Formats: sequence, C-alpha cells, structure tokens
Amino acid sequence: MSDIPASAENRWRAWSILAVIGAIIIGGGLGFLVVPLVQGAAGGVDAYTAICRAFGILPGSPARPTPPSQANPYPVTQVAWTEATINAIYGADRSTGAALAAQRCIACHTVEGNTPDPTIPRNAGQSRFAIYKQLHDYRSGARKNETMTPLVADLDDKAIVDLAAYYGRLVRGAIDPLRGGPFVGVEIENLVANGDIARNLPPCVSCHGVKAGGPIETPTLTSQYPQYIEAQLKAFASGERHNDIYHRMRSVASKLTPSEMQLLAIYYSGK
Amino acid sequence: MVRNRNLVLAHLWLAFAVFALAAILGVWQMWVRSPLHAPYADPENYFRSVTAHGTAMAYVLTTLFVMGYGYFVAESSLERRLPWQGAAWAGYMLAVVGTVMAVVTVLSGNASVLYTFYPPLTGSPFYYIGLVLVVAGSWVWCAVMFVAMAQWKRENPGVAVPLAMFATVANAVMWAWTTVGVAAELLFQVIPAAFGWTETIDVGMSRTLFSWTLHAIVYFWLFPAYIAFYTMAPAAAGGRLYSETMGRLSFILLLLYSLPVGLHHLFMDPEQSTGFKFLQSFLTALVTVPTLLTVFTISASFEIAGRLNGGTGLFGWIAKLPWHRPMVLATGLAFFMLWFGGGGGLINMSYGMNAMVHNTSWVTAHFHLIFGGTVVIMYFAIAYEIWPVLVGRSPDAVNLAYQRRQLWLWAVGMMVMTLPWHWLGLNGQWRRVAHFDYSDPLIAWWGPWVVVSLIGGVMLLASAFLFVWNLLRLHARRVPAEVVPVGMRYAQPLYPILRIPAALNGFGLWNALLLLLMVAAYAWPIAQFIAYPSPGTIVHHLDRAG
Repeated sequence: MSDIPASAENRWRAWSILAVIGAIIIGGGLGFLVVPLVQGAAGGVDAYTAICRAFGILPGSPARPTPPSQANPYPVTQVAWTEATINAIYGADRSTGAALAAQRCIACHTVEGNTPDPTIPRNAGQSRFAIYKQLHDYRSGARKNETMTPLVADLDDKAIVDLAAYYGRLVRGAIDPLRGGPFVGVEIENLVANGDIARNLPPCVSCHGVKAGGPIETPTLTSQYPQYIEAQLKAFASGERHNDIYHRMRSVASKLTPSEMQLLAIYYSGK
Repeated sequence: MVRNRNLVLAHLWLAFAVFALAAILGVWQMWVRSPLHAPYADPENYFRSVTAHGTAMAYVLTTLFVMGYGYFVAESSLERRLPWQGAAWAGYMLAVVGTVMAVVTVLSGNASVLYTFYPPLTGSPFYYIGLVLVVAGSWVWCAVMFVAMAQWKRENPGVAVPLAMFATVANAVMWAWTTVGVAAELLFQVIPAAFGWTETIDVGMSRTLFSWTLHAIVYFWLFPAYIAFYTMAPAAAGGRLYSETMGRLSFILLLLYSLPVGLHHLFMDPEQSTGFKFLQSFLTALVTVPTLLTVFTISASFEIAGRLNGGTGLFGWIAKLPWHRPMVLATGLAFFMLWFGGGGGLINMSYGMNAMVHNTSWVTAHFHLIFGGTVVIMYFAIAYEIWPVLVGRSPDAVNLAYQRRQLWLWAVGMMVMTLPWHWLGLNGQWRRVAHFDYSDPLIAWWGPWVVVSLIGGVMLLASAFLFVWNLLRLHARRVPAEVVPVGMRYAQPLYPILRIPAALNGFGLWNALLLLLMVAAYAWPIAQFIAYPSPGTIVHHLDRAG
C-alpha cells in the first residue's frame, strides 16, 4: 500500500467542500433569491419584502403571522386557553370558591352541585375548565341567561377561577358514555359512536368521551339532566346559544332532528 | 470468523420475532379498512394496533437489525474481536427494556399516539421513555462501531477500511446525528408534557425537530440493504464489485444528504417559510445521486457476473445470473420495487405534487413499498446469507427453495398490496382513519381495491411466517462438520483499492460538511421558535379521562 501524495489529499478535500458549498449556494440562491423575486414581482411584493418572507422574518411569513383583523368580533367567547389561564385554574383556592358559592350559587345549584331542578344543570362531575369557560362567557356576554348573567357580572377573574375549582372537582372527568347508558336504539348509539357521514355529523364521543380529542372545555354530559341537555341542543340549533368556537355545537345541533335531540339527551343522562 | 454469535443472534431474533407479530397487526389493520367485517374492529383498537405496528416495524425491527448486523460486520469484515462487548450487551438490554415498556404501554391502550407521536396528543410517558431507551441502546452500538473502526485503523495505518465496515460506520455516524432531533423533541417537549409538567407544547417546534429525524431515519433503515448490494450481492452473483470507490462515495452522499432535507415532510405545514422548504427540497433531490450511482454500480457488477457465466449480447447476461441464490434474487426484486418506490418518492419531494398526495393513502403505500419492499426484502436476504455463519449450518437445496419462495411471496405480496393503495391515495383516500363508510357512493368503489390490498397483506403475512420458519430450520439442520461455513465472504472489487485518500477512509471531513449543511438548513427554522415563541398548544392526554 503506497501513500497518497498530499496534493491529492488536498484536492479531495477542496472539491468536497466546494461541492457542498455549491449545493447550498445553488439551493439557497433559488429558494431565497430567484423564486421570491420572480413570484414576488408577479404578486406585487417588493424585492426586500419577498426575500425577507422567504426567510420567514417579516409579517406575512410563518414566524411572524399577519395580525388578525382589529374589527370588534361578535362575542363567541373570550376565553383563551393560555398557559397562564390553565395554571391559574390549577392554582385556584377552593375554600374562597366555597365561600362565594355559599353566597351566590347554592340556592339553585346546591352545595354539592346536584340540583333537583331538571332545568338547571348539574355541576357535579364537571371539570374546572368547563365551569370556568361558562362563567367567563356569562360575564363577557357570550352566553346569556336572565339568572346567571347578573350573578356573574361583577365577579373578577380570581372569583371565577375559585368558583370553577369549587364545583369542578373532577379534573377532566368525563365518564365514558359508551359504558352503561339506557338503550335508546341502535341509530342513536351509532350517532354517538360513529356520527353520520351523510349529514357531516361527527360522532359525539369524538369530543364528549373518555380519551376523546375534544377541546379542553368540553363538558361532561353523563348524568346531566335530559331536559337540560335537550334545551341546550335546541338553543344551539336555533343559534340562541352561540358561545361555541367555530360553530362546533351549532353545526352539530342544527342537523339533529327533534327526536334525536330528545333521545341523545336521555342516552347521556343515563335515565 | 464471528466470535460474538450470541450477541448478533440475540439482536436479530428479537428483531424478527417483533416483526412477525407486528405483521399480524398489519394484516388486521388492512382488514379493518376493507369492506369485510374484521373482528375486534373499533377505532380504539385500530389506533392501538397502528401504533404497535409502526413502533415495532419502524423502531424495534430496524434498530435491532441494524445493531445486530453492524456487530456481525465489525467482526467478520475487520476480522478482529469486537471491542467493548460488555457495553454492547448493556446496549442490548437497554433496547429490550425499552421495547417491553413501549409495547406494554401501547397494548394497554395508553399510548395510541401513532409512532410519529403527533403532539399535542400525548400518551403515557413510559411509551416515550421506552423508545428513548431503545435509542440509547443504539447509541451504545454507535460508540462500539466508532471504536472498532478506530482501533482497526490504528493497527492498519493507510489501509482502506473494508467497504462493509466503512458503510456501517457511515450509518452509525448518520444515526448519531439523526437521533438528536427526536431526542430533543422527546426529552424537552413530549415527555415533560406527558408527565403533566407542562400544560402547553410548541407544536411547530416539535414537528420541526421530528422532521430532522424523519428522513434520515429512513436511510438508517436503508443502509443495510445498500451494504448488502455492494458487499454481498456481487459475490453471490459470482462476479466482482464494479467500483468500490463508487460505493464509498454513495455512502458518503447518503450521509450528507439524508439529514438537511427533513422539511420536505413539512411542505404543507405553515410554521416554516418557503425559502427553507425550497432549499431542503433541493438538497433532497441530491439524494437521488447516490441511489442512481448504486443502481448503476450494482447493475454493472451483475453484468460482470453474467458475462463471466457466459452471457452475451445486450441483455443476455441477465438470464445467466444465478437467480436461484436468494441474495441475487432479493437484489433483483429489491431493484424492481425500487423503481416504483423511488418514483413515488420523487413525487413526494416535489412541492406541487406533494400537495396533491398530502395526507392521503399514497404516502402510507409509498413507505410500505420502499421500506417494507426494497429494504426489508434485503433484511431477509442478509439473514439468509449470514445465518449459516452464525449457526454453523449450510442450507440444503430444500432450504434454498423455501427461501426463494419466501422472497417471491414477499415481493409479489408487496406489489399486490401497495399498488391499489397508491391508486386509492391518488383518488383522495385519506390516511390515519379507522374505517371508511362504503355506503357512501363517492367512495364505494374503493372497497374492492382495499380487498385486493388485503390479499397482498395476507401474502406478506404468510411470507413473514415462512421467513421465521426458514431461519428456524437452519438452526435445526444437522450437517457434516466439513461443510460448516467458517466466515463471511464479501465481494471483491474489480480493481482493488491500493491507496486511498483520507477523505474516503474516514468521516472527519464529512462531519464538518454535514455540520455546515445542517446549520444552513435547520439553524433558523429551529431558532425562529425561540426568537418568536408561540402561545403554545394545550397538551391533550390520551391516557387520562377526557
């Protein structure tokens, strides 16, 4: 085995480095200069902006999204699930919440959150997040109710958080509706488990169920009063209730027939 | 001479046992997707099964196979004792513990997150920790490979490292780079979220970190196939390797251009800008160079063998090749599938066409064809080639006939399964869903084609079992001592390498250039998440009540 002359070694090294740098220059030149300049010119974007957007460092590019419209939105909800909000809910003071509930809530919702009046929702078994969302929406006007709206109008953020912690004993505690409800027919159970593609209806369990992928504020339906569930489905269907982001429940409820609403309510109530 | 047979066999048997079990799940999944009624078919079971199948096939089979084969190559090609044997066994135990942790959590239904994770969905933290342990085991393997080559080079200054070992170390170098992305994602983002230590996760960053790993990991799986093409197939064909330098260049190019290209998995993602997508798409295109170099070199090597065997004319040499040898047959079948799978890959890396196939069955069909087809069939051929050395028994004519049948069954089954699957993807069939409503007239015609894919899947399952059976037969066969193979015979190059530049005999230069490429391709795409932090996405815990 004879040795390779140093000049040959250097040649290998130099050409390798040149080839790799060349690849970066060609690829980068096309991606960061040629394409933005050509496409930018065609789209009426000046050269500087087009190149900066290709790097992702100006608004209109992924790292710096364009700010949303400043127009006043129709109040769907003003709850934003930021880390601060979630931590505040976890760090809430249940005893303060209990004192506040004694003044304002227990007359209807009872101390246990287990009201005997079927037109009033049961709070027991709900998550903190579900209760927080609804209280916040009543306060902001996103959801309206002649009893609830004045009761929460003067509450501050901490009070809402503490109340949510008081009633929301089960954190994310949806009980699996697929296990042990009354039999209301194969079609309703199919609706719950599979939805209905023909009507573009997603299955209920895709949000309202154990291990479901729904938003964090999804309420527990199991053991809720059927009268209350049915009333809410009707309110969503008519648009009278509209604090659901992205029309999630409005688009579902408006496609259900009255008898389906009734049977779904019975199914989830467990009675 | 291979001294650490038990180490190699322990890795390979665990890999193939997991493979055979995961193959059953694969068939069941295709059955669930078909219009035929499958048992236990509900979405929860389906996603549990998909996660188990993907984890087993993509992480466990591949990692353990590459490790075991690497130990085999280190001993047989360098013809010296493996260094750090205790560490190698410790790495194996890490992989075993990790595999058990991952499998148990997946089967319990607490980690049905699919093997590519998809945060903010998170499962049981022990699933991810199990995978980290498997990766940690493979890092031990990387270290053993580096040390083995370094020691050999010290003992043989100026001599070319045997091609099989050079390529194996290229893979180890690549793997060390590759795993940085997914390890960062798991350790800093997903595992803290899975434990509930953090409530939100920056999904853009986690997808970007995973993309770092996502393409190169495929080449990690592919390397053994290429090593077999260069160092085993020409010898099995009875010829010589056309050019060893071409082989070294190919492995170096695979190392360089498998890493700074992962953003082509994020073409449809909003968090990355067009410039970086373009740059990485361009670099992806360069990966075709080593692939075509390999197809050319191996075809030329086979031509040499065919002509030595008396083949004449433009194509006459093809018929004269010893197709009855499993390694030759597998190489031919792998190349056949490579044309389809590689062609599909070119479509995936092209921005406009990618938009059409994005999130459709096309993608699933593509990776089954290119990985399950081209790569795994070479795993079989490698096993058939090295098993006699490992167990000290040669196959007889009956064994060889069953080996050929198994390879044919695999290749035909793979084509039958994946071609309709591709076609349905082109027609918009979505992926990652547990069932299709075939009563919908728009998609009713898909049903029969999914059944065809299912038939292909059944063929693959039969082939998988036959493969395990074939290996077991080799353990059981009694043979006279004089025909026991003593070592591995690797292909000799047509022109032996008498002197070699350092650049083609080590990885210092290439590591530096790879660092340059990674900085160009990934520095800002990752740094942007730190420069402009996102509000984060709420973590969804699959293993907790909804």
